[in-house]
Amino acid sequence: MSLQLIPPDINIDFVGKRYFFVVLSTLINIAALVCLFTNGFNYGVDFKGGSVVQLKFDHPTSGEQIRKALASLDLGDVTVQDFGAQDQNQYLVRFEQIKNIGSVGTRIQGAVNEAYSGSNKAEVLRVETVGAKVGHDLRVDGFLAVAFATLFMGIYIAIQFRGVSWSFGAGAVIALIHDVLVVSLALIISRYEFDLTTLAALLTVIGFSVHDTIIVSDRIREDSTKRRRESIATIMNSAINETLSRTILTSGTALTVLASLLVLGGPILRPAAFTLFVGIITGTYSSIYIAGPVVLFWEGDQKSKGSASRAA
Amino acid sequence: MALELRTGRGIYRLVTAAPPKAENGSQILTLALERADGIERVVFGCRIDSSLPDSGAEAEQILTTLGPWVERDFEQIREAALKTIRTERKLHEIELNRDRPGPFRVA
Repeated sequence: MSLQLIPPDINIDFVGKRYFFVVLSTLINIAALVCLFTNGFNYGVDFKGGSVVQLKFDHPTSGEQIRKALASLDLGDVTVQDFGAQDQNQYLVRFEQIKNIGSVGTRIQGAVNEAYSGSNKAEVLRVETVGAKVGHDLRVDGFLAVAFATLFMGIYIAIQFRGVSWSFGAGAVIALIHDVLVVSLALIISRYEFDLTTLAALLTVIGFSVHDTIIVSDRIREDSTKRRRESIATIMNSAINETLSRTILTSGTALTVLASLLVLGGPILRPAAFTLFVGIITGTYSSIYIAGPVVLFWEGDQKSKGSASRAA
Repeated sequence: MALELRTGRGIYRLVTAAPPKAENGSQILTLALERADGIERVVFGCRIDSSLPDSGAEAEQILTTLGPWVERDFEQIREAALKTIRTERKLHEIELNRDRPGPFRVA
């Protein structure tokens, strides 16, 4: 006897609850946009440009004291940030001016140790430098990569499902924008560094999410040719229920792997694993509660017969 | 002492960043990879188990042994060291023992 997680005759009213989830998602997306424009991502040096120097002190100190110690180096606008737990006494010094950048780590260590005159020894743990122009270009390219991936997937789905309705493309695009915003919000709240690896994970989320949307949309297309007299809302709800087992199994197995990566994968993989973990959850959710409702809003609940006959 | 490493990212130096420490039968070296033009530096630890031959040698001699090995695995070591400091806020530590002797020859 096989183990069935989801009974074959399951009939959850997903479509009926769409208003609640659309409002919930809209609120989350508004929160994400507000956070994006206020707090923003914790950009890695790849995207931010300039230099970042990580200092470790023997005893606690303050950002102001560090700034004063570095004043003689003419680094331009310097920001100093506490980094890590309080007992670690680590600080991140960021500055954009990279004139005479050579040996900046040695010079900073020298200047700080001279200013503290041996009372609090500092050690440079990390120096990273990316030109401001390169950082800006990478940020623009990253944004364009996400935007074009979303747009072209929407166009692709619109073409593939044109027989049922062109609105499937719009539904997919809105679901993808929703996923990107939710993952962005999670990254902003968690303060994981947004670097090139995280961007690659975000693009992967887009790929996964659209894959899930296609499965549901494909079943809707299939059912709409067989059940022409039923409303598109009924067909959509039954398509979601019919594909629920597959959705839970594929997302569940992917999440199991990502949970392992998140916990055991170590620091290198953690931000990317976190991005994918949140992205797969939201991608699965949006395939059910965002892509479908957009089609319903677009088409209206009663238009299924006409759409179905076009498909036939 | 500094060892010059020729890498795909240009010339780097492998230097000792702090005096060696002994802990639980291992010697811990704090090393730094510095790009020759100074625009990058990353510190990491190397724990060498006392069961390895030459593990008790002077730091300079160990550095000479480690140099070519670090040069060969440069990308992975640099990436791991940078990411550990960025996200875990601690030093990446390479552990060399009888199971993973690295450049040390095990009889």
